[in-house]
Amino acid sequence: MIAILAVAGVTVGTLGLGALGMRLARTTSDLLVASRAVTPWWNAAAISGEYLSAASFLGIAGLEMQNGTTALWQSVGFTAGYLALLLFVAAPLRRFGSYTIPDFAEARLRSPRLRGLASFGVLLITGFYLVPQLKGAGLTLGVVTGAPYFAGVLAVGLVVSVNVALGGMRGITYVQAFQFWLKVFAIAVPACLLLIHLGGLPARAALFGDRLPSAGPHGLVVPLSAPQPVTFPTSTSYAITPPGGGAAHQFHAVAGARVTLPAGVLRLPAGAAVPVATGTQALSGREWATPVGGSGERSPVFVYSLLLATFLGTMGLPHILVRFYTNPDGPAARRTTVRVLGLLGLFYLFPGVYGALGRVLTPQLYITGATDTVVLRLPQAAWPGTVGNVLGAVTAAGAFAAFLSTSSGLLVSISGTISHDVWPRVARESANTGAIRRRRFRIAAVLGMVAPITVAFFAHGIDIGLLVGWAFALAASTFCPLFLLGIWWPGLTASGAAVGMVAGGVVATAGIVAGLALHEPSGIAGALLAQPALVSVPIAFLAMIIVSRRSTERFVADAEMLALHAPEGLDLPDLGVRDPFVLGPRAAG
Amino acid sequence: MAPQPPADSRTPRDELADTTAHGALYLQRLRQRQLTLSILALVAFGALVGVLPLAIDLLPQLRRVHLLGIPVAIWLVIVPASPVFLALAVLYARRADTLDEDFRELVRRR
Repeated sequence: MIAILAVAGVTVGTLGLGALGMRLARTTSDLLVASRAVTPWWNAAAISGEYLSAASFLGIAGLEMQNGTTALWQSVGFTAGYLALLLFVAAPLRRFGSYTIPDFAEARLRSPRLRGLASFGVLLITGFYLVPQLKGAGLTLGVVTGAPYFAGVLAVGLVVSVNVALGGMRGITYVQAFQFWLKVFAIAVPACLLLIHLGGLPARAALFGDRLPSAGPHGLVVPLSAPQPVTFPTSTSYAITPPGGGAAHQFHAVAGARVTLPAGVLRLPAGAAVPVATGTQALSGREWATPVGGSGERSPVFVYSLLLATFLGTMGLPHILVRFYTNPDGPAARRTTVRVLGLLGLFYLFPGVYGALGRVLTPQLYITGATDTVVLRLPQAAWPGTVGNVLGAVTAAGAFAAFLSTSSGLLVSISGTISHDVWPRVARESANTGAIRRRRFRIAAVLGMVAPITVAFFAHGIDIGLLVGWAFALAASTFCPLFLLGIWWPGLTASGAAVGMVAGGVVATAGIVAGLALHEPSGIAGALLAQPALVSVPIAFLAMIIVSRRSTERFVADAEMLALHAPEGLDLPDLGVRDPFVLGPRAAG
Repeated sequence: MAPQPPADSRTPRDELADTTAHGALYLQRLRQRQLTLSILALVAFGALVGVLPLAIDLLPQLRRVHLLGIPVAIWLVIVPASPVFLALAVLYARRADTLDEDFRELVRRR
């Protein structure tokens, strides 16, 4: 009940603040100018607020509980992405003056056709990234209200859709900054209080020793709402009471037995190793605690591929770029990014606590495979009673804030791209061009949600962390080379960029699809299929360089380089490469 | 070394503004300095953080030795990254701003 109130409070508060902020921004003339007066600290908190998604809030802890501490590399990579952004992209891109990736592609390479390709990439990546957000929302709503997963996804997808269509939240720096601190509070305070309450990490044998996750000293009682296929890692007896009550049936499973548990109430005796959902693996404490080493998702190849994807992928996430526009100039963009690194580092200290405690205190999540909900369920399990309920409400509210801010940002990118790039252009300069654009943006905000919701229905069983890893791999294989070469190499041509983006995107997608179709084969090949960045990123770079060198469409990019790299304060004339920005739906929506 | 200013009274700023070959040369030099700086920072990042997975993989004792009840390997994933990022970022941003400032001085002088 407290949790429902907290989630509702966050939602209404966010939507309300956003709507109020929009009204204020509209009446004080220029939204953009207003937001440019924002200090680097506010800006950094806003960027971090939009960036910290369901993947950071729920996904890292869930994947850590499931796959072990190797998942913690994700938080390193998510932060490192901003270092890459700072070193190679932040200041030049701010100077260049493009608000979206398609804008940059068109203006830098003087190619309207490249704009179309970039728009397609934006839709693909934001779609990939939106699915895990919706999944997180469906899970959260399910934990809080008991609503079925599908209902949660649908309800929250609609809320975000309507919010974006009505123009809430986006562009309001202070709302996003507030969301950041809400998320830090919601992840840090329960983590610290739980650690103090438990007196440190409990049951070290299960965490770092040879034990498998197992039932506590009083056994384990797990209600199963649907039949659940599982694998028993060790032989054990168990009992199942049918859903309507009645006599419990006793069973015995041998080690390695694959059983489909019927719906009902499962009882495991004290100390029995819990069965794990089919498709996942039971890990001993030692395996679980190994950040690198071994095969599959603990192999060094996988870890490096993941780090590369997140390091280079962050700059290619479509909803990140526009945020840099609230900086007045290049040096301010640098200062803001430095602060973002500090703020993200603060946040990422905490998710790991939940995965570790969850392994000991909520082993039933291994049975249902719902490890993504560990952040939400842990407080009640670790501290039964009012305190646990309140802390659970706090993490639920934080998860909702994470989900709302990121998916709104993503949907704005999707709708902006659909209404501006995909839809045939409005005849120039008619009297009601603005109104037509706004209407299109609103329709797109609803339509743009349909595909991600549909995919999210089917993605129920896939870890949030994995889904997000793919979005980063795609971004790193397409837009990252476009930015790095486009900014630092005058020789990049439109055909080179196009071939490189297609090559990188196709290889990354093929790897992901093949990995799914082959059920994540083992060995180095399996690791590279699950996280293809280590292959697809070099291919994209090479393709761009080779095709650019061979193409005959050479043009002198002096004006573009000047716009990208010339420091402020030289009173240089506007050279016409900056896309004139109309304060249309993309900024105001 | 800065390129020689042309014989007439045009300033480097004019060369930049008119995107002449001279101007492009000035700018290219700045671009290359900035890129060198960024790559330097990248190498430092690789040396300080990028080697961690390899080190943990190759040195099993990092997984056996515990510090405050937690294997050192796990500490290495959680703790060092953020301070290193922040330190690198601060140093880089300061130096990059200085390069921009130097360029501004160069271009403005008569």
